[in-house]
Amino acid sequence: MLPQLLIGGLGTGCIYALVGLGFTLVYRGMAMVNFAQGQVFMAGTFLGLYLARDLGVPAIPLLILVPAISFVAGALLEKLVFRRLYHSHEVFVVGAIGLGVMIENFVRALFPEPLPFPKIFGSGVYRFIPGVLFQKTYLWIVVITLILVLMLHIMFTYTRRGRALRAVAADAEIAGTMGVSVPRAIGLTFGLSFAVASIAGVLIGPLYFVSPDMGDMVGLKAFSAAVLGGINSIVGTIIGGILLGVIEATAAFYISTDYKDVFAFAILMLMLVVRPHGLLGRVVPVKV
Amino acid sequence: MLSVRSLSAMLFSSLLVFSQATRAQDIKIGMIAGLSGGGASYGASIRQGFEMAMKEINDAGGINGRKLVIDVADDASDPAQSVLAMQRLVNDQVDIVVGGWGSSQVLANMEVAERAGMPYIVVGASNPRITTSRNKWTFRILTNDNGQATRLADLAVSLLHMKRIAVIHDSNDYGVGARDIFDARLKELGVTPVDIESYQTNDKDFTAQLTHIASANADGIALLGTLPAAPAIMNQARDLGIEGRFMGAAGLSNEAIISLAPEASQHTIATAYFFDTLDPQAKAWTEKYMAMFKNAAQAPRPSQAAPTYRGVKMAADCLTAVGTDKDKLRECLKGWHGTFFGLPKAEEHFDDTNQLVVPVVLVTVEGKSFALLPGAN
Repeated sequence: MLPQLLIGGLGTGCIYALVGLGFTLVYRGMAMVNFAQGQVFMAGTFLGLYLARDLGVPAIPLLILVPAISFVAGALLEKLVFRRLYHSHEVFVVGAIGLGVMIENFVRALFPEPLPFPKIFGSGVYRFIPGVLFQKTYLWIVVITLILVLMLHIMFTYTRRGRALRAVAADAEIAGTMGVSVPRAIGLTFGLSFAVASIAGVLIGPLYFVSPDMGDMVGLKAFSAAVLGGINSIVGTIIGGILLGVIEATAAFYISTDYKDVFAFAILMLMLVVRPHGLLGRVVPVKV
Repeated sequence: MLSVRSLSAMLFSSLLVFSQATRAQDIKIGMIAGLSGGGASYGASIRQGFEMAMKEINDAGGINGRKLVIDVADDASDPAQSVLAMQRLVNDQVDIVVGGWGSSQVLANMEVAERAGMPYIVVGASNPRITTSRNKWTFRILTNDNGQATRLADLAVSLLHMKRIAVIHDSNDYGVGARDIFDARLKELGVTPVDIESYQTNDKDFTAQLTHIASANADGIALLGTLPAAPAIMNQARDLGIEGRFMGAAGLSNEAIISLAPEASQHTIATAYFFDTLDPQAKAWTEKYMAMFKNAAQAPRPSQAAPTYRGVKMAADCLTAVGTDKDKLRECLKGWHGTFFGLPKAEEHFDDTNQLVVPVVLVTVEGKSFALLPGAN
């Protein structure tokens, strides 16, 4: 019983983690929360749907193509929209929510109702442990999440561009005086946050049907996951996401499915009260 | 900035032109349904049924020479927004409202119709609490869950000889209402469900509930809910190795269930409000409907469009007979009787609670379409 739930929880948790990473990347760079993240995730699924169903793109190229297009879209939107909203956090939050609503309704105009996503990862199950079914899609989700986290880690730690992003995250002004192009770093950050969310969108597609409102709840849960783990910590967000997925699945089974969503948001509230910087987040001292 | 301003000015003036196209002598008929949100698959069909009936009426010269125009209110499949949507139709001074999908939405928005004295023909909600001694203006033209869930329990036990029946239901008014009736009827028949599970309308992962059902080893699973959750539950259940036969009320008799769960939905039993080859009129109607919407954004779905088509035709019958006076319309509807196409032959009429006395038809998924359930009709 429990192993089956853990697998389901791990799968959903990885999705929360990836979408949550989008929040974290932007938050680290700008100390702003992009609430359109859930809709970016949804748009990624629909982009994947179009490429896989109508053009027949197989799994691996799809997992490269979708984030690549999303990266460009993110960088472009940063230049056209987000850049004009940085002057105040309130304006940014409302602007991001508005952008999310626009994305959702644009997709709704094209695809008004739920659609099946092609089974790009195969539809079989593995039985590593007797009595426990491991859907192929879940395996893909976990493996791809691991690869992505590894790639992000390598980028941020060892590459020049990654270090530049971290410098901007630490202190944009000083990074700027040291010769780092701050606008470019921020554009890159947005591109990355769009790319990871869109990968999550492709990964979850075959598990359920795709619909324009699928990003609403996932966006909120991913935000909870990021807060749980620490919204300025990449590792924290991953752990937060997986933890949230597992808690949700086990609580739904052992306590009640009716209150599944309540657990996620109760955790969010609790963390905000008890430990606002999250499990692994750093307390950032306010600089005067 | 200037461009934005001129754009909004253009939009505003085009709205003016649009509203002027509605002439004073036109008859305005309100349509309320979830065109977005969880019920979008049903809402789009309701709209198609509506448009088809309107077109036929207007092509035949309208109602006593007056043109019928539609006023669409999207309730986003949400009870709270549904109240606002109905209020908007009341404010727009429509002459009658046809539509209403989802029991929770209708239970919420019918209050507005009742207060405003607005005749309201419900075509897509089956909770028994909608038609009681309290509703004066709300009429329902489909069998409620007292009829549907009871029938389903009878079938499961006596026709299909199921012994271990599990229930999984939506936790909204529709699912809970249907579960209570189904469960009570099973117990009368001496069968206790082996497991009862619930889910939220927008849930996507049903592993927790299905793991319970799998260990209960059910041979029949009553799935009391709607799209998109229902076909997802079917797919996930089969992935987990659950083999019990699915059955449900009219929430399942939507052709989209077959396209969303092509294999998992096979042999699913459902009560339906329409069957396309039951009589020649139903056949002709289906052909015409399919031809009309074959290129529409949403594929045509006769099961869901037919009840709305009947509702608009019923409204038109009374508008033709007594005009737009609301009290007279209500009296006319109360006395309405006739025979619906696509259902077992019966003389339909309203009872004291404005609930239409109307049969259902039992269908089952066979291949890519619904077939009549043998031995049940």
